[in-house]
Amino acid sequence: MIIEIGHYALVLSLAVALIVGVVPVIGARRRDTAMMALAPLGSLVLFGLVGISFAVLTWAYAVSDFSVKNVWENSHSLMPLIYKYSGVWGNHEGSMLLWLLILVFFSALIAVFGRNLPDTLKANVLGVQAWISIAFLLFILLTSNPFLRLDPAPAEGQDLNPILQDLGLAIHPPLLYLGYVGFSVSFSFAVAALIGGRIDAAWARWVRPWTLAAWTFLTAGIAMGSYWAYYELGWGGWWFWDPVENASFMPWLAGTALLHSSLVMEKREALKIWTVLLAIMTFSLSLLGTFLVRSGVLTSVHAFATDPGRGIFILCILAVFIGGAFALFAWRAPMLKAGGLFAPISREGALVLNNLILTVATATVLTGTLYPLVLETLTGEKISVGAPFFNMTFGLLMLPLLIAVPFGPLLAWKRGDFLGALQRLYLVAGLALVAGLAFYYAENGGPVMAVAGLALGFWGMFGALADLWYRANFGKAKFSVAWSRLKGLPRSAFGTALAHFGLGITVLGVVAVTTFETETVVELKQGMTAEAGGYSIIFDGMREAVGPNFTEERGHFTISRGGVTVADVWSSKRLYTARRMPTTEAGIVTFGLSQLYVSLGDPMEGGGIVVRVWWKPFILCIWGGALVMMIGGFVSLSDRRLRVGAPTRRVKAVKAALEAAE
Amino acid sequence: MVLWIVLAILTAGVAAILILPFARSARAVPAEHAGEIAVYRDQLKELERDQGLGLIDAQQADYARAEIGRRLLAAADADAEGETSKPSRYGFTTVFVTLLLPATGLCLYLMLGSPNLPAQPLEARLANPGNNIALLVAKAERHLAQNPSDGAGWDLLAPIYYRSMRLGDAELAYRNAIRLMGASPARLAGLGETLVAASDGVVTEDARVSFEEALRLQPDTPNARFYIALALEQSGKRDEARTAFEALAKDSPADAPWMELVSEHIARNGGTVPPPTSSAPAGPTQEEMRAAQQMSESDRRDMIRGMVESLAAKMQEDPNNLEGWLQLTRSYAVLGDREKAEAALKSGLKQFPGSGELVALAQQMGIAVEGVSQ
Amino acid sequence: MTRKQKRLTIIAGGMSFIIAAVLLVMFAFSQSVAYFYMPADIATTDIAPGTRIRLGGLVAEGSVKRGGGSTVSFTVTDGSGSVPVSYTGILPDLFREGQGVVTEGAFDAATHSFVADTVLAKHDENYMPKEVADRLKEQGVWKEGEGISQ
Repeated sequence: MIIEIGHYALVLSLAVALIVGVVPVIGARRRDTAMMALAPLGSLVLFGLVGISFAVLTWAYAVSDFSVKNVWENSHSLMPLIYKYSGVWGNHEGSMLLWLLILVFFSALIAVFGRNLPDTLKANVLGVQAWISIAFLLFILLTSNPFLRLDPAPAEGQDLNPILQDLGLAIHPPLLYLGYVGFSVSFSFAVAALIGGRIDAAWARWVRPWTLAAWTFLTAGIAMGSYWAYYELGWGGWWFWDPVENASFMPWLAGTALLHSSLVMEKREALKIWTVLLAIMTFSLSLLGTFLVRSGVLTSVHAFATDPGRGIFILCILAVFIGGAFALFAWRAPMLKAGGLFAPISREGALVLNNLILTVATATVLTGTLYPLVLETLTGEKISVGAPFFNMTFGLLMLPLLIAVPFGPLLAWKRGDFLGALQRLYLVAGLALVAGLAFYYAENGGPVMAVAGLALGFWGMFGALADLWYRANFGKAKFSVAWSRLKGLPRSAFGTALAHFGLGITVLGVVAVTTFETETVVELKQGMTAEAGGYSIIFDGMREAVGPNFTEERGHFTISRGGVTVADVWSSKRLYTARRMPTTEAGIVTFGLSQLYVSLGDPMEGGGIVVRVWWKPFILCIWGGALVMMIGGFVSLSDRRLRVGAPTRRVKAVKAALEAAE
Repeated sequence: MVLWIVLAILTAGVAAILILPFARSARAVPAEHAGEIAVYRDQLKELERDQGLGLIDAQQADYARAEIGRRLLAAADADAEGETSKPSRYGFTTVFVTLLLPATGLCLYLMLGSPNLPAQPLEARLANPGNNIALLVAKAERHLAQNPSDGAGWDLLAPIYYRSMRLGDAELAYRNAIRLMGASPARLAGLGETLVAASDGVVTEDARVSFEEALRLQPDTPNARFYIALALEQSGKRDEARTAFEALAKDSPADAPWMELVSEHIARNGGTVPPPTSSAPAGPTQEEMRAAQQMSESDRRDMIRGMVESLAAKMQEDPNNLEGWLQLTRSYAVLGDREKAEAALKSGLKQFPGSGELVALAQQMGIAVEGVSQ
Repeated sequence: MTRKQKRLTIIAGGMSFIIAAVLLVMFAFSQSVAYFYMPADIATTDIAPGTRIRLGGLVAEGSVKRGGGSTVSFTVTDGSGSVPVSYTGILPDLFREGQGVVTEGAFDAATHSFVADTVLAKHDENYMPKEVADRLKEQGVWKEGEGISQ
């Protein structure tokens, strides 16, 4: 019975979404409070109902109810409990339900925390959210229903894809979706503003925390996915420019641009039209990503099922929402008034440069991702656009942005002093170069160009520190004064600095790994030694082991440096019994920020085994930087200023404030 | 019934919540721009603070203040001219909300749901498995996962695995049973058969060793003798194979189920086959056979046909039965219905693509089977 | 600078950046795009040694030979043609004879054999590289559902 209640709750939520998508929007036109009041209420109910059905599905997984087809297909009674839970979204149907749950979760958050929003805007925003919910509810119910039953029920499930049985993968999709779907809020705000026909600086302030939250989660989700691919797939790579990775990376790039342009809009009321367009584009890229990943146009580990019906359905959703939003934009945008003016050299100018580069970079990634698909559809020719293309285009395009980052925060609004900023950054540039040289010298080896790359990473890091340094006026004012000023800085200033600092760390990590990485492929017999990164890796032999739902051949390695044993590590080849599927479990040892990565290959005749050893210097910087960016996002989110702005219902107070302002 | 009551309560509850705003008396319209005004006032405060801290100079602050002030004024003006809503009636909306919920809910749910199926958590099903073989197997598996040294359990499970073509599991189970309970002719022969099936009907070295071991323990184990003979045949030693098959035929009761296969092999290796005593394979029972013999020729054929038909129907329902396919194919062959025999064989092969027995049968019957390389 | 000039500066800067980006993308496409071929195509098309291509098909049964160290050679076939491939490195977990595979690399000028630097097999047991699956289906060599051991 419980299963059927979950199913019904999902069906009922479609009805609720229909109501929330219609009544409050009409209410907003008529300025009818009762009808508009339905929006927050209905959104909460919607969240409750989808929550019930998600909880029911999770329960079905937890108790291994194989009468539910979805559970039978993707679970196994002997699987560890944590993977039974994560198995809920380790498949197409469940992951779409999670997508929906997060969508209505955001609607509920707007309903709860959006008290400061004008009623009409809120009703429209929640209405648009409900439209998206309707589309995805229909998609789930009609093409990907996780509540279909089997009668009689099988006795044992078919197991979750082994490479998804991993802790990283248990949290990667929810984080990624919190980001992906979080941008739906920016989208809904943009569409609501277009419907309402008014948009101003206050709008930017209201939408910014949502963008920021989505961006922060997406950062975490992408970093997590990258780390998972690194240690689970056993190829030692951390970014493959795989279309699926690009699908999550493009909204991130566009979202980063949106974050910066909404700043301009909030402060100066400039870039209004552009910001609205960017908000629509960001979520469109999220939808496109969902389409690419879920439709089976691309084959990858993420394409759980390839069902053309689903692909066409998502394509329709894509067409309706993106097409509709752009049509609305084309119709309404000319009515928006242009905002404040600024000189090319100014904070706004820097942010425009940021936007320009980020959008062009997004377009490049989009081209590289879609070109093979388009070409195949048009001419039938099959090509692959791989890492070299993206490294060349994206890498080169990002260069000017990375150089410009430290300048931005040092320029004043409206009209900046470029020479002043340059003077302040001379020292930073010098330091970065010295640090790059020192780093290069310490690692001895690699192309000389690497110095420039390393210096670029340090430039970003030091630049972020310099921003705080100059804001607090260290060096000019007395230390105690500067210190108290530093403490008085708004949290968003720290958030910015942290995010830029993190970017520098990631750049440093990327350059260091690409330049100084070593890879050794050797055939080892018991007792033989391989060398990597100044460490000796001694192969101690193989052993068989049995896990809960797999058997494995484990190789043991002792790692020593200068004759002293410093660590030991297991690396294994697993066979998951239910699906008869082998996986490679790499052995990874961390030394500071660097890692030694040991992966097993095929056994050779004569008892040896092929072993691949990578030395990955400073690889943790890549994800460490993302982590710092994420912390920056949270610090900014905690800024008091993003929470205030609740209407006190006394308009008269405005006059007093105005007088104070004049 | 309980389900429907719960669903009705859920629907009613949701409807009640959703029509709540229409039941309340009309609220005063809050100033539409109050939120905006609050934001701008906040920006002003922030500006003061920044100026106080010396983060921006006085001139910049003045510019910014003027800008924010303009926005503030515009927002306040807009509010002053904002129209207020007229109190309206919500009859239509209420009906729309209260009807849409159950209508959409019921229509879609009746289309998609399975209201009669109870939830079936595995634990509860395992506690009360009934006659469900799959569940009994699952239960035994769980028991063995916890007590891997229970030889009797492995012994019980091994032939079940073999029959349901889970050959990898069957091999493991036989080996465990042999390891824990010691070798017995049945286990060794079973292991051998499993290995043969796993290598598509070829008697491998491993399998042969296993059969020989079984024969050492009990020289008249018929299936072990059969496969040893088959091994000889497969290695091209036709004479020795024929001798072995003939010896097996001699020692077996005339109505033994394997006799037909043995006779075929004798024939293939150049021997002469004594006329089969019974034309129908293991399907019909002794009594039925006796009854059949007393019937007229045509009645007898009808009866056999009836039995074969019922077997065919059974296979249609539960195709996961290798023995059944073998029997069905042979039965059709005996009845002289070559077309149906081929069809049965192909269905069987579809179900068990790797089955050596089916392939062997196909070759005997001279049926070309696609996708099988042997 | 007047207001108009400022705007023009910004627009001109933006446009030149975009044009540079477009040129860059076009250049990168001409440099780094790998075309996909099946063994049957190799016989009919003339591919210059050194040109990066993707070669897909099935790993021929019995063709996998391990040389010294970690060099592996195998034959990629599609039923109507076959191409010998050599590869140094660790093969993916699901690389098996008779299964679909996509390799990336170039023909060696001296030996005329295909030297791969990347070998992609499937991610899980249901996955056949899409390009390969499409083409094999066209040629009727491979059918949906084959190779799935259930």
